[in-house]
Amino acid sequence: MEQPSEFVVPDTPAWDKPIVLLPGFVLLAAVGGLFPSFSLPANLYVLVIGGTMLWLGLSGRLPRRPAPRRLDGAAGWWLLPALTLAFVELVTFAGGSTYHSPTLSLLSDPVLESYLPRAALYFGWLTAFWGLVRR
Amino acid sequence: MSVTRVLAISGFALAFLLVAVVEVLARREGSRIPTLAEVVGFVMRYEVGQLPVGRIAVLGFWWWVGWHFFAR
Repeated sequence: MEQPSEFVVPDTPAWDKPIVLLPGFVLLAAVGGLFPSFSLPANLYVLVIGGTMLWLGLSGRLPRRPAPRRLDGAAGWWLLPALTLAFVELVTFAGGSTYHSPTLSLLSDPVLESYLPRAALYFGWLTAFWGLVRR
Repeated sequence: MSVTRVLAISGFALAFLLVAVVEVLARREGSRIPTLAEVVGFVMRYEVGQLPVGRIAVLGFWWWVGWHFFAR
């Protein structure tokens, strides 16, 4: 039986499967982890990948997971971690982002200097980006 | 290690711990708290006219996060 048109969603591309995407993200992260911060390749790589993700996310070519039309007031609990993070980041930033007043960015620098943590975090960034694209 | 550094690291750790705690609470049976994905999905629905402002903001923010940590 033919489905009513309101229930028809965009076809999922053949490559849009975890078995294809995850190895692809592993490969992209493995390459991304090779480029040190402040280098031209690192900038170009993240700009191209991010730009592609942004284009995919805005183009409407991929099916999206349903999102709630309204949120319960209990959603306010999310302000607790959000405001905590914002407060600490603002205070440390106002403190000059120094060793004694480190921002999250400054704290992450030593971690991101090593290849494996850098590639692993790149993988996390990519998979989260994909999750947002499909939202 | 100075006291201010310890406080800063503890503050960031607390924020991430709170994310995990609220997410766990949200995933309990019958919870009224939406999951983080639902909150983000709701924000991404926000539009001004035909412009998907919420979607652009969230995707653009995440793009900036990647650039800031991996390239800057």
